[in-house]
Amino acid sequence: MAEFNVRADAIDVEQIMRQIRARIREKRGVDYTEEQIQELAKIRLEKFLDPKGVRSDLLEQFRQTDQQDVPPTYEFDDKTLIRSGNPLIAFVRRLLQPILKLFFSPNPLVHALHVQTQINRYLLERAQRDVLVYEVMHNLVVEMTRTGIEVKNMQMRVESVSSRLDFNERRARALEAVVQYRPDAVSERPVMRDRDRDRDRDRDRDRDQGRRQPEPGRQPEPAPAQSAQSAPAAVDPITGGDSLRSRRRRRRRGRRSGPGFPNDERRATNGEPEQRAAGDELTAPNDEHRTAPSNEHRAAPDDEHRAATEDERGGGEHDAAGPQDTE
Amino acid sequence: MRIAVVVQRYGAEINGGAELHARYVAEHLARHAEVDVLTTCARDYVTWENELRAGVESINGVPVRRFPVAHPRTPELFARHSATVFDQPHSLQDELAWLDSEGPTSPALLRYIETNAGTYDWFLFFSYRYHHAYHGSRAVAKKAVLVPTAERDATVGLAMFPPILRGVRALMFNSFEERAMLQHVAGARLPGVIVGIGSELPERPQPERFRQRFGVQDPFAIYVGRIDENKGCKELFAFFQQHIRNARGRMQLLLIGNTILPVPDHPMIRHLGFVSDEDKFDAMAAADVLIMPSYYESLSMVALEAWGLGTPVLANGRCDVLKGQCLRSNGGLFYESYSEFGEALGALASSPSIRRAMGRNGMAYFRRHYTWPVIERKYLQMFEQLAREPEGQQASMAPLPGYFARRKKVLPPGMKVLAGVPEGAVLQ
Repeated sequence: MAEFNVRADAIDVEQIMRQIRARIREKRGVDYTEEQIQELAKIRLEKFLDPKGVRSDLLEQFRQTDQQDVPPTYEFDDKTLIRSGNPLIAFVRRLLQPILKLFFSPNPLVHALHVQTQINRYLLERAQRDVLVYEVMHNLVVEMTRTGIEVKNMQMRVESVSSRLDFNERRARALEAVVQYRPDAVSERPVMRDRDRDRDRDRDRDRDQGRRQPEPGRQPEPAPAQSAQSAPAAVDPITGGDSLRSRRRRRRRGRRSGPGFPNDERRATNGEPEQRAAGDELTAPNDEHRTAPSNEHRAAPDDEHRAATEDERGGGEHDAAGPQDTE
Repeated sequence: MRIAVVVQRYGAEINGGAELHARYVAEHLARHAEVDVLTTCARDYVTWENELRAGVESINGVPVRRFPVAHPRTPELFARHSATVFDQPHSLQDELAWLDSEGPTSPALLRYIETNAGTYDWFLFFSYRYHHAYHGSRAVAKKAVLVPTAERDATVGLAMFPPILRGVRALMFNSFEERAMLQHVAGARLPGVIVGIGSELPERPQPERFRQRFGVQDPFAIYVGRIDENKGCKELFAFFQQHIRNARGRMQLLLIGNTILPVPDHPMIRHLGFVSDEDKFDAMAAADVLIMPSYYESLSMVALEAWGLGTPVLANGRCDVLKGQCLRSNGGLFYESYSEFGEALGALASSPSIRRAMGRNGMAYFRRHYTWPVIERKYLQMFEQLAREPEGQQASMAPLPGYFARRKKVLPPGMKVLAGVPEGAVLQ
């Protein structure tokens, strides 16, 4: 949790509470209470069922479902036509029924009315279900509203995490600029496993040691056999950890975004010195200013060729751990 | 100077807020004046049954005169009257009937006050909402000083109380919020002073002794008081468990007090039960923060004690009084939702410098306003000031309306009046 920006000797509770609320807003987006969500959901529901937008009378129909005066349904069977409260009349009707059938056939009529009662019953049940449908729809809209808010909050959180990530990356690069490699720490670096790359590096190392001139006040370079095996020998005593090779490698990385890349096109046109080429790495300017021996400039064409080879092999980004690699 | 402290219940074992308040005030004023306590024989504030013997006894050196209650409270009748006066348009007679059903109705006590009005210089009535305070204040209005101990509930919306608030000589408020609320319902600027209550804190609390005695190693938040849903404990448990799930901190929640609500079975929540005052103060001094989740407080003694011991407070911001105290003291944070609870507790847990600074602020606030010498001085100064007040400038008690006027159902429901009372903390 990040520290609050509060001076401990001048506590202001209101200020802290403002910061707390700001942090909550940052984390969750806008705060909604349950009532506000319901209110929002209601608004959405009205909108969703807007008579102009959806159907002219849908909303009204939904609302009036339980208000309508629904007539009672009825039962209809084969005896309904001749049934009577008076048993005598019922008996006479039943007696005359065969005669009635001589005039017309009542059976299809009875069947049709019986089916109609079933349809009526089904429609009544359907009307009752509509209330439930309305409720379900309302709940769906509430959930949708809630989900919408969640999505918004998640978007804000992603943005927040993204900005933190950017910040951390920038900080990491800044830290790289000030880090000092200890010789004993360097020896613990992981071993590179790419044999081809190691062979190239060995060649580099041999050449570097052959070219390196002892400077006044500096200890002479150790013997090649020793330097190939012992970690401290591969560390540049001037840069405190950066070997010539690693510096060269860094420059190569700079060139990888070189000619043909927008940044370097501009640089090439302006004729800026080469040490600016690795400008997107914060370590480069320091290193270059500290060392910048002329023989390194001379070695550049060879290095460029080697860098291209490494790039083709796809090992360019991993060579920071290279100086002490042994087979 | 002779002072009568009139309160609904009184006793060393009676720990209700207003009753304890009355006892502390009586015992401290007894060092400067001749104090009698006038009270009832009731021990239970729900039934008002006459459980204690009528007559005179001495409690901690203060003479206590008890009077019998005429009838105990009938819960059904009280509920019916409450529904009438709080939720419906009603008459003043309805309100008087409600007051009578609420109790404690003690005609003997009221008779004693009337007949001995000349014996005492001042009558200090506690809790405006009870029968003794209403009728007692009317009986000796010229000598009545009221300690209202009002909370934000529908009772303040009843029309019978504003004449009392305006008619007594002075009011001793517990907080700025209480004064603002009562002035709003009274529709007038009320004479009085914000006093509150003091607390006897140990000179040197020993946090380490508490940690050793109860085996507490990790940082912890503490709650002291009755573990009850009405005190906001249910919400506290829910919020704290959620906070543990989200923040994964090491902070425990320790609970001190009797339980009415079941305590969740959680490794980070420990209930220590009822402990001695020594342990309680040690625990409060050892705690990283005291949590006060109550929604309704007229004055939280526990919060004040925590501040007195240098412990910051995390209070329920929906309680205007607690929120106002946090803001005025700069000694605590407050919350109105889980998000705020989590963030505020996280801020206090993760920042020792903020905790220390808030603790210092709280301690300074306590010493400035709530030590007993300060409280005693405020009472005594008020009595002196009232004694000097010319008779023409004194407030007068409005008489009760006539028979028919009392029965007109023209008064708005208490809840409706309460809804119109402004909310929020008062900074000054």
